[in-house]
Amino acid sequence: MSSLITPGRALVRPARAQTRKRSSWRSSRLPYLVPAALFLAALSLFPLVNLVRMSVSDVTTSTLNGQWDFVGLGNLVRSFQQGSLLPALGHTAVFVLIVTTIGMVGGFAAAVALQRAGRVAGLLLPLMVFIWALPPVVNGSVWKFLLGDAGLINVALEGAGIIHVPLQFLYDEKVALVAISLVNSWAVLPFNALVFRAGILGISPEILEAARIDGASRWQEIVHVIAPSVRSTALVLAVLTIVYGFRSFDFIYVMTKGGPGTATSTLPFLSYQQAFGRYDFGMGAATAVLSVLLVLVLAVVYARSVRSEEEEA
Amino acid sequence: MQIRAMRHGRRRVLAASAILAGLGLLTACSGTTAGGSDKQQTLTVWHYFSAPVQAKVMDDLAATFEKAHPDVSVKNVYVPQNELIQKLTAGVAAKSGPDVLVFDGGTSSTVALAGALTPITDEWKSFPDKGQFPDSVVHSVKGDVYTVQGYVNLLGLWYNADLLKQVGVEPPTTPDAFDAALQKVVAAGHQGLTLSAEPGGDFNAMPWMSTAGFDYADPQADALAAAFDKVRAWTDSGALSKEASTWDLTEPFQAFTAGDVGFSVNGNWQLGTAKKDAKFDYGVLPLPLGSKGKVYLGGEAEGIGAFAKDPKLAWQYLTETFWSADGEITSLKETGTIPARADAATDPALTQDPISSAFAKSIADNGWTYPDPSVPLEKSGDVQVEVGQVWSALVGGQSTPKDLAGGLAAKLKEILG
Repeated sequence: MSSLITPGRALVRPARAQTRKRSSWRSSRLPYLVPAALFLAALSLFPLVNLVRMSVSDVTTSTLNGQWDFVGLGNLVRSFQQGSLLPALGHTAVFVLIVTTIGMVGGFAAAVALQRAGRVAGLLLPLMVFIWALPPVVNGSVWKFLLGDAGLINVALEGAGIIHVPLQFLYDEKVALVAISLVNSWAVLPFNALVFRAGILGISPEILEAARIDGASRWQEIVHVIAPSVRSTALVLAVLTIVYGFRSFDFIYVMTKGGPGTATSTLPFLSYQQAFGRYDFGMGAATAVLSVLLVLVLAVVYARSVRSEEEEA
Repeated sequence: MQIRAMRHGRRRVLAASAILAGLGLLTACSGTTAGGSDKQQTLTVWHYFSAPVQAKVMDDLAATFEKAHPDVSVKNVYVPQNELIQKLTAGVAAKSGPDVLVFDGGTSSTVALAGALTPITDEWKSFPDKGQFPDSVVHSVKGDVYTVQGYVNLLGLWYNADLLKQVGVEPPTTPDAFDAALQKVVAAGHQGLTLSAEPGGDFNAMPWMSTAGFDYADPQADALAAAFDKVRAWTDSGALSKEASTWDLTEPFQAFTAGDVGFSVNGNWQLGTAKKDAKFDYGVLPLPLGSKGKVYLGGEAEGIGAFAKDPKLAWQYLTETFWSADGEITSLKETGTIPARADAATDPALTQDPISSAFAKSIADNGWTYPDPSVPLEKSGDVQVEVGQVWSALVGGQSTPKDLAGGLAAKLKEILG
């Protein structure tokens, strides 16, 4: 018995010691997290809590720095009754769909095209970084000029005899939203391409070589080897692109101010207009919280898919 | 004795030092008053002028004041217009902000209600020159005066004199003559008119809505429909491009100065651009609105920040620059703004200049307070958004004028009660 107990004790002691060591290591690590936690609380958590509080309160310019009366879902109901919320939701869905689809497919295609180092890649890659780094206000102003009646695109199309009257890119109510979505896609595409390219460069050259030896065509190589290999990258990028689409405001503000009428008013723009056009900060916050909730739903879906993927692996 | 004398001497020195130190402390604590002490004082002025010509006016006014008050340094701080109200409201929470604020007069009530301005009711009442200013440029909230406009900006009808001569059209002064002129310009293969119709407010829509009899005091759909029919006819005939539905006030003037447009509805602040860019003879007329039409008197208002370090100095700055005859004439000469003061409005720089005097005539004939006094202050934002969106939709070709008018009238009745 004693012989059995003794080794047991011997086994328990190091385990306890190990736990103690780990916990002391953990406690020695914790202080290093304090600055980051404080920054996060001050710059993210506090504004977020305030935003939620504002979204359920009656807040106007005269009460902004005073007491906020609780109104529950009243702000959201008023926004709905005004008739601006549902159209903005629809516009946001179209906008996100176009930006995500083109951003993902275009980004992957560009990454595959620029996979191999060469003169073209050497020229295009810095250009893509430049486009990605351009401030949206500058980018949007340039595109507003290019898409105008007397802009380069219409002039070129007319010069080539393809059209006889200018295309109404930004002021036809059915086209304007698509046009701005395409400009946004163009802005997000370089980032996606660069991230995809990094993923593709991480694929072992032996795998690609083996596929070629087995007689795979370039298309088969892309579909059956490259695409599956960058699946996890694609998942992260998809979520980032969707979030980017959801919070896109700058291009709309610069190019159409939500017009003509309300044809390009998305949730972020509507939120801005309610807060700084109508000076109804409560209503603007409620719209912003709705956007955040929609993004959160997508984030949960993403987290689940990542977890199931890890479990499969 | 010697020792005692030395002790007394030491005490005297110590007492004298203490008195001197005390005096120094008192001087430091007392601060400075305008023109009072040798200590340099800084006056912070927030504005949103990014155009060099407008920024120069700010610098010139600051230099004038600094010359008269060598102990004061004026610091002009540029804050982008779309960030101004956010920064001011955030400043209220932190109890900070500028000494003087120069900003859009149309948002005076919003900024005052946010608590970012000091009421100047008593100072204004006792201001000897207040009789020089029309009531329309004095902005009050709940009985208190908060801001005053030293000058006004308004819309007028810019015309391409060369093009009109070529087409055989006289510059129009009545609504009917204007429509006829547009038709002739378009028939001759030119663009008739440029204006701003982005969804940003009622500043650009009000002249045409009011000409048809629209009034916020009783928003009737019929009057709106008549106005909207007229504007839709302009886009249908090709006189006005639907592209204007996404234009701010800069873009239509750029199109006008390119030379192939007959008219542009734009402001007096474009004078510098016209001189620089237009390669043709041009002129300005009051908007052809008839007797009922209203032209908003826009422009920047000036006020004292709620947390001004020295409100008296801020008041002195405003009365000696923006609200003085000399200050207003400086602004007129450099940027074409129209002085609000009656005495400054008789200056030859205004009366003998055909462009500025046309705007001055429009003030007398059709000038109207901005925002419209019939709209309650707290509803002003809602009204601006609703009218701005419908104005943009109208020019953009959405829906029918009748439906847009009916929808807007119903909305306005709901908002205004």
